Amino acid sequence: QAPPSAIKLATVVPQGSIWDKNLKQMGDEWKDATGGRITVTVYSGGSQGDESTALRKMRLDALQAAAFTVVGLGQIDWAFNVFDIPFFFDSYDELNYVTDELTPVLRKRIEPKGFMLLNWGHGGWTQIFTKKPVQTVDDLRHIKLWTSAGNDKQVQWFKANGFQPRPMAMTDILTGLTTGMLEGLPTTPLAASLFQWDKQTPYMLELGLAPVVGAGVITTKAWNAIPAADKPKLLAAANGVEQRLRVEVPKLDANAVEQMTKRGLTVTKATGPEWRTQLDDLAKTMRGESVPPDIFDLALKARTEYRKQHPAAPPPK
Amino acid sequence: MKRVLALVEDATASLALLVMVLLPLAEIVFRRTFGRGIPASQPIVQHLTLWVGFLGAAIAARDGKLLALATGSFIPKGVWRRAADILASAFGACAAIVLASGGWQMAMAEREAGTNIGAGIQSWMAQMVLPIAFAAIALRVVWRVGSISGHLDSSSASVPGDLRSARRSAERWLDRALASVGLLAGVLFLRVPSILEAHSLWPAFAIVVAAAIVGTPLFAILGGTAALLFMHDGTTPATILIETYSLSVSPTLPAIPLFTLAGFLLAEGRASERLLRVFRAFFGWIPGGTAVVCAVLCSFFTVFTGGSGVTILALGGVLFPALLKDGYRERFSLGLLTASGSLGLLLPPSLPLILYAVVAQIPIEDIFIGGILPGILLTAMVSAWGVREGTVSRAGRHPFRAPEALASAWAAKWELAMPALVLVAMFSGLATAVEASALTALYALVVQAFIHRDLKLRDLLRAFGECVTVIGGVLIILGVAVGLTNYLVGAQVPAKLLEWASTHITSRLMFLLVLNLFLLAVGWLMEIYAAIVVVVPLIVPLGAAFGINPVHLGIIFIANLELGFLTPLVGLNIFLASYRFKRPVLEVCAAALPMMAILGIGVLVITYIPWLTTGLLGLLGHG
Ligand code: NA
Ligand code: NA
Repeated sequence: QAPPSAIKLATVVPQGSIWDKNLKQMGDEWKDATGGRITVTVYSGGSQGDESTALRKMRLDALQAAAFTVVGLGQIDWAFNVFDIPFFFDSYDELNYVTDELTPVLRKRIEPKGFMLLNWGHGGWTQIFTKKPVQTVDDLRHIKLWTSAGNDKQVQWFKANGFQPRPMAMTDILTGLTTGMLEGLPTTPLAASLFQWDKQTPYMLELGLAPVVGAGVITTKAWNAIPAADKPKLLAAANGVEQRLRVEVPKLDANAVEQMTKRGLTVTKATGPEWRTQLDDLAKTMRGESVPPDIFDLALKARTEYRKQHPAAPPPK
Repeated sequence: MKRVLALVEDATASLALLVMVLLPLAEIVFRRTFGRGIPASQPIVQHLTLWVGFLGAAIAARDGKLLALATGSFIPKGVWRRAADILASAFGACAAIVLASGGWQMAMAEREAGTNIGAGIQSWMAQMVLPIAFAAIALRVVWRVGSISGHLDSSSASVPGDLRSARRSAERWLDRALASVGLLAGVLFLRVPSILEAHSLWPAFAIVVAAAIVGTPLFAILGGTAALLFMHDGTTPATILIETYSLSVSPTLPAIPLFTLAGFLLAEGRASERLLRVFRAFFGWIPGGTAVVCAVLCSFFTVFTGGSGVTILALGGVLFPALLKDGYRERFSLGLLTASGSLGLLLPPSLPLILYAVVAQIPIEDIFIGGILPGILLTAMVSAWGVREGTVSRAGRHPFRAPEALASAWAAKWELAMPALVLVAMFSGLATAVEASALTALYALVVQAFIHRDLKLRDLLRAFGECVTVIGGVLIILGVAVGLTNYLVGAQVPAKLLEWASTHITSRLMFLLVLNLFLLAVGWLMEIYAAIVVVVPLIVPLGAAFGINPVHLGIIFIANLELGFLTPLVGLNIFLASYRFKRPVLEVCAAALPMMAILGIGVLVITYIPWLTTGLLGLLGHG
């Protein structure tokens, strides 16, 4: 039997990326903090499969931990989809405030399902990259928009609201853009720059569709096998990752926009008041549909609180 | 009762395949006319691949068509043969029952999680095909002891396995009883996994090697090895099935069964005769014209049949007599047809290219474009050899006559338009790879059944049935092979390999040379689809580290495996040609040697002149 202290952690973040480096650093810290009683092997770049596959392996104890995006987290509990509501959050500060309010509730929800939340991880902020300039919501409805394959609910939501989603594997994005199957995609500036999608999509609508939220999770089985005395040290190391990513990732996103602008990207801003009104209406359609109603309300309440405390909120990200 | 069950099984699988053809096309129509598609059509098509594949695998097991190494057929009849058959069945049953249990575990965990694939369909129900198919295979492998495996394409005639039907039934029941010890062993390993954890794996590996040599189906060899490794580490064999499931439902994989179906419909209709006529009218006048025609025609067919040997079986009967009649030497003709069976693997939309793109996660379109010039090169080299032979042996030529050329081209116009249909559909942005493959299958169906009226309903059913068996035979192998890959990834073999290579290999040129030798060995030892699934994840990071274009790496990879089909004794083409043309294996080997040399040179050219692969890509803006 594999010793309970050998932890295999899977993630789809690219090898050598800031997230990969931070997770490996956390692994080293866990090992040092426990005098080598706990080892962590990080499998990045999706080498243990996509997030659904990694989650299946966790349920059967073939993997013990993972750093998931909302795709995988949403499959543990649909409450995590709250972070995927388009145009719900205006800024990182607002996101962090709401996240802090939601954390204890989310923890409680996933524990009976066999998972323990270790930390949050920022992945950047999704903007919309398009072939033609987009100004109005209606412009966006005329764009063949990439969505990730495998989330039929999301596809149906887009369709029902008059958008033209094109679910495809991530590897087909570049070809889709070249052949015209796709005319735009929501993604973070860092990812667009990394995969050079911006060559095919010279316009970026700076609108802030949604933050890319990730989280580290470990199976309760593996967590319970860890001596109680070790746990605070491990959580401290995990929190270190969260704090570093909070600072570093927004900077990297901004850098990426700068880089891409130098090679020809045009950044446009959404104009007109209809974005806010239409998008608020759109967001409401997700309540109970892809986000549990109580979680949706809780997030909304926290957001209202935050906006009350910070009336001069920064302009949309 | 048994016949009813068989009928239901065949009908379900064929119907699922038909829905796979129609659903993506209906999706295009709905999208264009109503602006919205059919709910969950994409995930449903992906899951139908899983169903067609694993029902097909169970049918292949029922009919004794699971693919195994050819080495088993060299064991002399008598007591050794009987012992070998029992070992093969026992090992196959043991592996299959362990895999069935893994599939069950996965489905039950999925049920608890309550996920669905869309349109209200529960994921676990879709997954249940895995435990059911593997359990059926375990029982059938025991039941059919002595005739559990054959060629992938033993479609046209009965397989040698039925030789023993005359044996006394008491003996057969004893063999079945002995083979079912494998089932019991499997159950024991599942109940008491600590047996495997406590012991060294070397004796078990010795059994695996012996089982492979005596002709145990390849899925059991690969899946059994993976299960041994995982269970030795205290990990559940369900891990393998999780990988199997994940590969089987990947978004672009449905293109493989759909293109295979197109190939089978062509092969069942009289397309080969029409195409032979037109190619002959156009190329028959050059010296060695018929040989050139054979090479081109085989490439054309292999593109759709994946080099699984359907080409040799479907075309051999037409082409071999044609070559002999025109005065080509028998040995040359035999060699040519044996090699031609794998020509075309580099041309779009060949199935290994699709699988490579799926596994290496590169756009399918890119590898299709990259393969065009290398594929033409290999076909041209074999054709040139044919021209030489035609000149030397003064084989008969067919004078070019314009009226015949036009008439034959007109007669074959529908078939000739197929490659263009695929390419236009994919590169115009009209359809995805899967949609293009569905379109091609429907097109082949309409052309062969309704325009030419070559296929009666009975022929159609047979074509679907045989196609399902071939898809199953392939998918079960690559489905478990991906589990073995996952073990290697878990043990961090790719990272270790990279570390080793970066300290020992100093230049790109040296890397390519080592790669060629390594892939030659892989092609020799492994089935092509399994090789892609197991080896590609190991070499992709290496290729990246040495600055090899990922599309070029894919083309090198498949070109090398193309050679592997021809390697003496284990090469699939050798075995199939020996079977199809009723010639001893050693004679076929000897006949194929010059072809191996030619293709070997071709592979080196493709490897060391990257432009052949990347030139066209750059030109079309995919670079
Ligand atoms: Na595609
Ligand atoms: Na081989």
